[in-house]
Amino acid sequence: MSILSYNGGALVAMTGKDCVAIASDKRFGVQLQTLTTNCQKIFEMGPHLYLGMTGLATDVKTVQSKLKFRQNLYELREGRIMSPEVFTNMMANMLYERRFGPYFIEPIVAGLEPKTFKPFISVMDVLGATSVCKDFAVQGTCINQLFGMCESLWQPDLEPDALFEIISQAIVNAFDRDAGSGWGAVVHVIEKDKVTIKHLKTRMD
Amino acid sequence: MDLKTEMKIPADFPFGSSSTASPSDYRQVAHTPITTGTSVIGIKFDKGVMLASDMLGSYGSLAKFRMIERLVEVNKQIVIGAGGDYADFQFLRDIIKQKVTDETCLDDGFMLKPRSLHSWVTRFLYNRRNRFDPLWTNFVVAGMQDGEPFLGVVDKLGKAYENECVGTGLGNHIAIPYLRYALDKKPNLTEQEAREAIVKSLQSLFYRDARAFDKYQLATITADGVKIENGLTLETDWSMADLSSGAD
Amino acid sequence: MEVLNSNFYGGKPTQLHFSPYEDNGGTVVAIAGKDFAIIGSDTRLSTGYSIESRNQTKLFQLSSKTVLGCTGCWCDALSLAHLMQARMQMYLHDHNKEMSSLAVGQMLSTVLYNRRFFPYYVSNILAGLDADGKGILHSYDPVGHCEKTYYVAGGSAGAFLQPLLDNQIGMKNQQNVERRPVSMERALNLVKDSFIAAAERDFYTGDGVHINIITKDGIREDRMVLRKD
Repeated sequence: MSILSYNGGALVAMTGKDCVAIASDKRFGVQLQTLTTNCQKIFEMGPHLYLGMTGLATDVKTVQSKLKFRQNLYELREGRIMSPEVFTNMMANMLYERRFGPYFIEPIVAGLEPKTFKPFISVMDVLGATSVCKDFAVQGTCINQLFGMCESLWQPDLEPDALFEIISQAIVNAFDRDAGSGWGAVVHVIEKDKVTIKHLKTRMD
Repeated sequence: MDLKTEMKIPADFPFGSSSTASPSDYRQVAHTPITTGTSVIGIKFDKGVMLASDMLGSYGSLAKFRMIERLVEVNKQIVIGAGGDYADFQFLRDIIKQKVTDETCLDDGFMLKPRSLHSWVTRFLYNRRNRFDPLWTNFVVAGMQDGEPFLGVVDKLGKAYENECVGTGLGNHIAIPYLRYALDKKPNLTEQEAREAIVKSLQSLFYRDARAFDKYQLATITADGVKIENGLTLETDWSMADLSSGAD
Repeated sequence: MEVLNSNFYGGKPTQLHFSPYEDNGGTVVAIAGKDFAIIGSDTRLSTGYSIESRNQTKLFQLSSKTVLGCTGCWCDALSLAHLMQARMQMYLHDHNKEMSSLAVGQMLSTVLYNRRFFPYYVSNILAGLDADGKGILHSYDPVGHCEKTYYVAGGSAGAFLQPLLDNQIGMKNQQNVERRPVSMERALNLVKDSFIAAAERDFYTGDGVHINIITKDGIREDRMVLRKD
């Protein structure tokens, strides 16, 4: 079993019309044993900037705090908040520093660009190979199921309510076919003037 | 008793370790190919099928046998071609030839058809795979089936399919893209166009496949019967080799 | 006799020098309704990164109301499907009637289990009509575990498409929806849409789709092209 699927997890982000959404499951387990069902995998890194990470839970925590440290230095030095694009580059750079002993995480960055409020999502692998997506990004132990759901449900210019419904259906139905993830989900819909966080009740098996 | 000792195979024979050095609690059935042929390529055209292969029997990297036949006429409407282990090909070819002889002796007016032979070869190879004793070969069966062109492949596992164009071995990577392109441009090739596509593919193979050769056989199967041209030579132009830097 | 007991011909453990299995990709999707069953397969046959054929259906008709879809190791799929067709013939000649879809479903399980220790490396989906003309599907693992279902996806893009079918046909995770049997139009469209989605992300799926629509009046064919890259 890969170390990336040791704790399990599902993560997806989608763009909409002037909004983005990012959702994850809430399971924390060790291989087949579920330990908790309130594991946070999405982190608020700024007013319009969210970072989701699946993979090895210990590395998720480490990387999150290391990134926050670097981000704080940037924002103090520059006197402005970090854009999702810069955040992505910084993270990719940080991951590549560990080229020969990587952090076992699979991240997605989702947010709105400062000032223009243009939707932005990006995804990268353990080494920081990045892809900025126009449509959706998926990660985790049920990545195949998520791809199948997103590829058929997603369409351009979804309004926030429709985006919420679609990302929710995508992740819930995807992780219901995966033993490594599930046990509840959380969805963040990020708009210019508000961020809506909803917790989904799902089947718990 | 040890067969290798009996057969006086020297201890330093390169294929398979000597009997004294090897443990005796297993038997090796899945051998490795010794004398090999490389690609066979084929394409359908409006009135028949064309099949081609070069005439080299490689012995590892040694170009050992320079005039071997890898395309064989089975009867008036079938040609088979093979790549991979040449001994395995000869083994199966002899069985097929015997089948045809037996059938001819019946003199009942029936003749083996390509789809039947394709199916039979598939079953034969699949059976050998199931015994973990495969024939290390790719077979191509080409012919006329009730007036329609037939072109099918079977590999050493018994994986079989029919197609408009086929290429085994490196032909799958080098010849197939060109043959598919030719068919996409014009689905119903004439015999001449098919021949041009085949010769061009053989040239590409000769340029880039280290186990390929410029002497080739070309079989044409139409309603009129089988025509196999032996010992043809590819026209090659190496002037562009100068453009390929780093090779000298 | 001495020769037969030597290293070469003795009944001793065999050293494996080659793999008898190969993954040739391919996807099968099937949906059963009130009076029909739809089964579709892609038409790509691949080995590693090579596309061997762009036009090879993975559907095998077993009777006037039963179709078998096989993906996985193509040499096993071919052998299994032809063995099933032969067994159907034998049944027909023995009993002077076609085997029912449910009986075929049971027989396939038995045939697969017969090779329990050298399995047919194939994922099978059997589509047919039951005695009342209702659509019925069976899906199998390579050694003959059998499940009766009403929608299923199998093969290389099975994991991509199964949650979609759960959601759209099984109405999973949907509240306040009317659960009515799926219509043939909707089932057919969903099969096509799912292949389009699979072809985007699974490179073992593509080139084309071959669909069989089974009703009491017989089997109708449909085809659709997919991306070829």
